Amino acid sequence: MKCEEFESIGLDAGRDSSLSEAEGTAAREHAATCSHCAALQDSWDAAGVELRAFAEDTAMAQAPARVEMRLRQEFRTRHVSMKVRRTAVIAGWALATAAVLVGAVSWVNWRGINSGAAAKQSKTSQVGANPAANNADVANNNAAAQPDSAESETLLADNELSDFTLLPGTSPADTLDAAILRVRMQRSSLGALGLPVNEERASEWIQVDLLVGNDGLPQAVRLPQE
Amino acid sequence: MRIAELERDDVLLRRAAKGDEEAFLLIYRRHQAAMYRFALRMTGNTWAAEEIVQDVFMTLMRDPKKYDPSRGALGAFLYGVARNRVMKHLERLPREVALEEKNEDGTGSGVVLQDASTPASWLEKRERVRQVRDAVQELPVEFREAVVLCELEELSYEEAAQMAGCPIGTIRSRLHRGKALLMAKLEMLRGVPRRASAAR
Repeated sequence: MKCEEFESIGLDAGRDSSLSEAEGTAAREHAATCSHCAALQDSWDAAGVELRAFAEDTAMAQAPARVEMRLRQEFRTRHVSMKVRRTAVIAGWALATAAVLVGAVSWVNWRGINSGAAAKQSKTSQVGANPAANNADVANNNAAAQPDSAESETLLADNELSDFTLLPGTSPADTLDAAILRVRMQRSSLGALGLPVNEERASEWIQVDLLVGNDGLPQAVRLPQE
Repeated sequence: MRIAELERDDVLLRRAAKGDEEAFLLIYRRHQAAMYRFALRMTGNTWAAEEIVQDVFMTLMRDPKKYDPSRGALGAFLYGVARNRVMKHLERLPREVALEEKNEDGTGSGVVLQDASTPASWLEKRERVRQVRDAVQELPVEFREAVVLCELEELSYEEAAQMAGCPIGTIRSRLHRGKALLMAKLEMLRGVPRRASAAR
């Protein structure tokens, strides 16, 4: 081994594992025979000793405790905020789902109410075309749905009965179960019921409400105002 | 010793990534001293070393997936991150503060050497260490890195080359040149005539 080669690879031959056994041996032999390289090796080793002393001086050095504290705090902040973010996302999705559900239920209810109202309206309009049936239906509905309304109609009938003129030979008690029947007749027909008739207008057609008893005979008569 | 302390770094890191604080602290306690020493020896500045260590572990905390266990040990990965931070620091800032921590009155806190038999020998040794430290800090960054890794951290040439991201021959060359500069500097400081070949 020559001096240049020794200076480049032989100085640290003892610890350089990349050197072969033969290179290591050659370096040791060269240092033993060359005084210049031996002195260089001594100087190199002395520098190694100095560096080791320096290394020992800082061997026990470690980061201050405040670094660990800062890292710990950062770790907690980071992971707590991650948890909070995750919770917020889940809560957001839950709220959105709930809002959609509420909206859907409300819409379905609204649709149901609207279609019911439309059906009622069309039914009402159909009934309006046939007033008699309508009245009957309404009367039936009222009688079925509201028991109090029957009583109020009875009261109304009493009032109406007060407008009737009892036919001769009829007592007021006979009219309790009577029904009202509207008929059209000639004025002269009133005479047959025992009522006075103006001869001059005897041929006139008039509308008359008859109160017909259970036996089918008229009990009282009323001339509705036209 | 608890079972958690025997767990591998990658297992601990996975746990830490899921929010296990104890696992993260175990990793930190395993590696912080080596990182701190490396940063301190490279920068010669305790504050910078502290910042670098914190930065290294912050990086690990923020993005643990950056570490791939199939590519090497966690220690090597952390060394790589620390090295990048050190290089950035050295590029950005001139050397400002001595390695030794200062007390409030400006005096050095010092390190008590266990083999110091007398105050005189202790002072002499402190002075030698200070000279070596100053000489190391004055080395160019590449040479300093080789000296710190191979001589102070006592890594093998292969490990140092892996760490520095260069071939073994480059590390060897840098170490030789760094050590030669170091010897020349120390001999000059001690009044020893400089060898002609030392700084070659």
